[in-house]
Formats: sequence, C-alpha cells, structure tokens
Amino acid sequence: MTAWFPRISDDFVLQLLLGMTVNFQIAALALVFGLALGALFAWVRLAGGVVGGAAAAVIGLMRAAPTFVVMFFLLNIIPRDATLFGVGVAPSGIMTVALSLVPYSASYVADNGAEALKQLRAGSTLGALQFLPNVTRAFFVLVMSSSAGAAIGVTEGIAVILREAELMPALGDKLVLFAVGIVFFGVTLQAGFALMRLLQRRLGRLATRG
Amino acid sequence: MGRTRVFLLARCLPLLLSVLALPTRAETPDAALAGLIADARAEAATPGACAQPNVDRLVRIFCENRLRAGVREYYPLFGAREGQTRSGYDVDVARALAGRLGVEPVFTRVNAATRIPLLGEDRIDVVLATMGHNTQRDGQVRFIRPHYYQSETILVGPRALTVKDWPDIASRTICVTIGSGSNAQIVSHNARLMLFDEAGVLPDRLKDETCALAAQDDSFFAFYFTEPDFERRFERKFGFAQVPWGMAVARSAGTDRLARALDLASQIFHRDGVFLDIARKNRIGTGFLERQQAVWQRPTCNTDAGSRDPACVLPAFNADLQPTPFAGRVVAFEDWVEARTGIDLALPMFKTVPAWSLFKAGIANSLILVVGALAATLVFALVLGAAQSAGSPLLRWPARSLTVVLQSSPVVLTLVIAAAVAQAIFAYSSAVAIGAAAVALGLMNGSNAGQAIAEAMHTLRSEAGTRGAAAHGLFGHAISRSATQIVSFLINAAKGTPIASFIGAPELLSALTDITSFASGRATTYSMLLVFYIAVVAIVVWLCGRLRDWLERRQAS
Repeated sequence: MTAWFPRISDDFVLQLLLGMTVNFQIAALALVFGLALGALFAWVRLAGGVVGGAAAAVIGLMRAAPTFVVMFFLLNIIPRDATLFGVGVAPSGIMTVALSLVPYSASYVADNGAEALKQLRAGSTLGALQFLPNVTRAFFVLVMSSSAGAAIGVTEGIAVILREAELMPALGDKLVLFAVGIVFFGVTLQAGFALMRLLQRRLGRLATRG
Repeated sequence: MGRTRVFLLARCLPLLLSVLALPTRAETPDAALAGLIADARAEAATPGACAQPNVDRLVRIFCENRLRAGVREYYPLFGAREGQTRSGYDVDVARALAGRLGVEPVFTRVNAATRIPLLGEDRIDVVLATMGHNTQRDGQVRFIRPHYYQSETILVGPRALTVKDWPDIASRTICVTIGSGSNAQIVSHNARLMLFDEAGVLPDRLKDETCALAAQDDSFFAFYFTEPDFERRFERKFGFAQVPWGMAVARSAGTDRLARALDLASQIFHRDGVFLDIARKNRIGTGFLERQQAVWQRPTCNTDAGSRDPACVLPAFNADLQPTPFAGRVVAFEDWVEARTGIDLALPMFKTVPAWSLFKAGIANSLILVVGALAATLVFALVLGAAQSAGSPLLRWPARSLTVVLQSSPVVLTLVIAAAVAQAIFAYSSAVAIGAAAVALGLMNGSNAGQAIAEAMHTLRSEAGTRGAAAHGLFGHAISRSATQIVSFLINAAKGTPIASFIGAPELLSALTDITSFASGRATTYSMLLVFYIAVVAIVVWLCGRLRDWLERRQAS
C-alpha cells in the first residue's frame, strides 16, 4: 500500500465482496416477499369497494413505516425461541432485515403493480412492461437499504467496512476506506441502473415490434 | 511458695480484672459456628424432631445429612458439568461448605431465571450461582455475608483497538446482554448498545467481528481468556460496576440459623484462605479474595459479630432506580389492561426517572431531527438544484459528481462519514450527532431532489428555447415542476431519521433501546415506537401534500 492509502487487512476486499453478497441476498428476499404481498394488495385495491379501500389504507401504512424502526420492532417482538407447530420461526439476522424491507417493497410493488394492471387493461403492453424496470430499480434501492443490517450485527458490506474502520485511528484513513466502499457499492448501483435502462430499451423495441 | 503465690497474683490479677471488666467477650467465628452446628445436630438427633412440620432448615440439613445447593451448569470456571462431573468455583465452595457442616452436597441445576424461585419453592437450601448482591434482590432472598466473590463488568475488545476509559467509548457500539445492571452506566457515556439475549453469544460475536466491543462480567470472560486464541486477539479494556456475589438462602421462616451458619463459615473461609485456594484451583481472579482475606484476618472483624459489622462487610450494589411520581398509576393501568384484555402491557419508560427522562428527550430529539432533516433536504435540494442547473461547468460538475457519490453511498455509510467528519471538528455530543444526521439525511435526499430540479430546469429551458419564452424566473418554475419529486424525497428524509440512532443520535429509537436494556417490556416499547414513527411520517406526508399543492398551484398560475 502507498503512503496515502491506509493499511487494510489482507482479506478486506474478499470480506467486502462476501458482505455485499449478503446485501444482495437480503434485497432478493425482500423483493420476493414484496412481490407476493404487493401483487396481492394491488389486485385487491383495484377490486375497489371496502376491501379495496382497506388495502389502500394498509399500503399507505406500509409506505409510512420506517425500515429501521420495523427492523428493531421485528427483532424485539419475535422471541428468539418462537415456534410454530413445533418448528422454530425466529428469523435470523438476515431474514429480520429482509422482512423489515418488505413494507417498502410491498407498497412499491402494489403501487407500480396497480399502475401496470391499469395500463394492461387500457391495452398498453409497453406501459405495463414498465413494471419490470421499476422492480429492478426497487431491487437496487433494497440493496442499498439493506446496509441497515449493520445495526443489528448482520455482517453485510457496510458492516465489513465499519469493522475495518474501527481499527483506524486517523480520520483521513477512514475516509479513504469509506471511499473504497462507495466505489464498490456505486459500481454495483450504476451497473444495476445500466441494466435497468437496457431492459427498458429492449422492452421498448419488443413493444414497437409487437 | 508464698513468694510464688504473690508473683502469680501480681501477674494474673490485671489480666483477670481486664477480662472481668468486659461485658461479654467477643467469641471467635469458629466457636460460634461450632456451637450452632452442635445445637442443630442435637436437635436433629432428638426423636421425632425431623418429622416436625416446618423444621428449622439447619436442623433439616442434619436430619437429611445433605446440603442442597443450586449451582449453574453452563458457566465455565464457576459452574460447569460434564456427564456426572461438576466443576467450578461455585461448585467447590458448595462442597467446602457441606464439608464444614459435615454433610453431603447435593446439586441442583439453576440459571439466572430459576435460582431465586427454586429457593422460594424450597427445592434447594442455598444458591451459589454467580448471583450479584444488589438492593433489588435483597428483598427476595437472604444474602450470606461476607460475600464469597466479586465481579465487575469489563469491556473486552480487539487488542488493536485503542479504548482505555469512558471518553473513548462515546458513539461506539457496545454489545451487551439485555437486563444487565451496568447497561444504564454505559448508556450514560454516550455509547450505543447492541442487545443480545444471552451472554454466551458475545465471544462469538467478538470473534466474527460483529461486535467491536462487548461488556459482560469479568467472571464470564475469565474462561475465554484461558483460550490462547481469544487471549491473543482480545484484551480487557477497563472495568466498572463492581458487584459482590452472594450465596443466598430463602427469606422464609426457619432459615435464620442456616444463614447464620453460612455467614460464619464464609467468614472463616475468607480468613483461612479457603476461598482463595478454591479460586486458584479453578484459575479465576483472586484480587478480591486476597483483599477480603486481609479484612477478615483483622482482629476487629475476626469475631462472631464480624459479618454484621458494616466496617467489615461490603454493601449491596445499589441497583434501585428512582420511581417517577406517577409510577404507581402506571402499574395500576398495566394491571387494569391485563385484567380486561389479558395483554401483558409493560410501560417501563413511565416508571423510573432515568427511563422517563430518556423517553422525553428521545421524543424531543426525534422531532428536532425530523424538522432538521426536512430543512436540510430542502436547502440542499435548492442549492444542488441551482448548481446543477448553472451555466458554469465549475459549479455544475462538482454538484453532479457529489450527487452521483451520494447516490452511490448506502445510507448507513453516509451517516457514518458525516458523524466521523463532525466528530473531527467538534467534541462528541448529542447535538453534534443530531446535527450530523440531519446534514447527512439532507444531503442524501436533497441531492436527489436537486437532480429533479435540474432536470425540470433542463426541460423548461428546452421549452423556453422552442417557444421563445423568457429564460428568467425559470428556477422557480423548475421547483414547481419537480414538486412531486421534492415532496417524495422530503418524506424519505423523515422516514430515514430513526437510522440516526446508528451514529448515536439520541432520538426515540435510541432512547427506547437504552430503556429496554435495563428494563422489561420490549414488545410494548417497540410497538409504541413503530406507532410513533408512522404517525410522524403520516403528518409529514400530509404537510408535504399541502406543500406540493401549493407548488403546483404556483406553477399553474
């Protein structure tokens, strides 16, 4: 390492990459749960009536629930030894973070899903297909938000960076390390957005051909 | 012969007079204990005495020829069990006590939750289970004095980490177990807590680096420091909250003589170094026991009254928290709810003065943080929006670069960077943490909103160019056009405020985590927290809706 670059652990990059896979894992879980729940709410909301109104109210509440508070709520409300039909159901740290992101992902999917269904009913396939890049966008937002797991001891990417920073006494060294973290996450995010734009263009071409 | 008598009289008379001058001569603890044992044995030997209901506990021990001791099984170095073999300091002390009484020890497994109830249910005679003697427990069991050991809470962390005293832990995260009496003290030094249900996970969390620092009894970590790998990587940073450990007997009728016998035995064990030998055999710290041996070898303490002398025995650790003036009404309300709904409601934040103060400060700080984050978001949105729309690339490109960097940084990392920079400039305080969090949230959301303003500005310029409209005053129109985006990032900023607890901002989430670390009622507490924040965000959404309407009306006009 050069003089301006801080001394970091030999396996830091490997640990960071492993940590980032946890971020992706959390985001994927949150999106899967969100898709299931959000699609259901979108369908119920479009049905209208009292049930539709209730679904809209629940979506509104989910939209307003701060992820970080939901995470601590789940962590403290579910006993460590909770069982259902004799099977342990206490979520792991990763699952707790993923579940805390579900209100966001479900409300996002419900909003965009309802819009997509409307477009589809109006005969605009391209409009409906916009749902896919929007979900991709949500996935990368979830990846970035999953860093909240560092607060409850989940060893994800940011936790790895903060762990390394704890051992650095100088602010300058820490800032260089944080910059490395931003580059790693930034490249991932920008790659994700590039993928999203590519997807949008492909869908556009498909719809035009259709 | 006559001269000899005169000589003896002259030598012995002053001694005789001095003895007669004392009202009662202090008895040695050994003699007092021997007397107690002899009396109890004689009673036990009396026909029919052992069959009496409510027989005295000491007498019953001799009737049954056994001392039932409650010990731990999973507390290395103090109470451990492998198959039928028990080991540890507490176990060996129980054996020594039984040996002194001349009976057999019989062990029963206890843990932190069962050790006092098992005494109350008369399933054990004495508990020796790493139990700290505090003022709260004084009302539940009768502690044996002098105390047989003393522990303190120690902070353990990697050797490479420079932490020497309280000032070094401000804004750091400390892993602790819920309910630990020392948590309140850690909180008072501006540290954040990461809570765990069981102490057993702390060494693993240190090893896998989830925890940079962990606080727990030195007796707990003593075992792990015997592991070469743990000892090589970690060290004791500093200790605090010394708590004397007490053996205890039940507080029911018929236990006085047993307690007295154990008091005297404990006193003798300190004086004669029995405790010290057992400690050395089990490889635990001996500093406290060495100091206690010196105390109990003093002539003033080495009497049958020594265990009642405040100059010789240690006081209980004061763990009582001052109740609020309305604590009684809160308890009555909890009972009322439980009686009518069956819900075990617990409202610890209203029952003690420290918890109530933390709770009030938490709400106030949360509201300040929300207002600060909204204001910062709006300011940064306008500044970065204007800079990104500027004609000069010297303004435009730095603003765009900053936006890309902020968009690429996860929220937790941005907060940590803001806190690190703030702490390099200012001394750590709650206000600095709140300010840093507001700025970080404002930058993150403001940069996105600013980008929306710049994009709106771009479209307006294009339209102005094509339609030939006036270019001046476009910025105001750009703000109106990007109203929906600005509002959505303002709401996002409000929703993000609880994450400020990660950098030590004492908002409500942080305050309630601190409260639940030394009180019960986690389910109620975190439910209230969720309701509070959803209500705050709902109000912000409503206010932002009004702002959006105003901006859109302005655009229309």
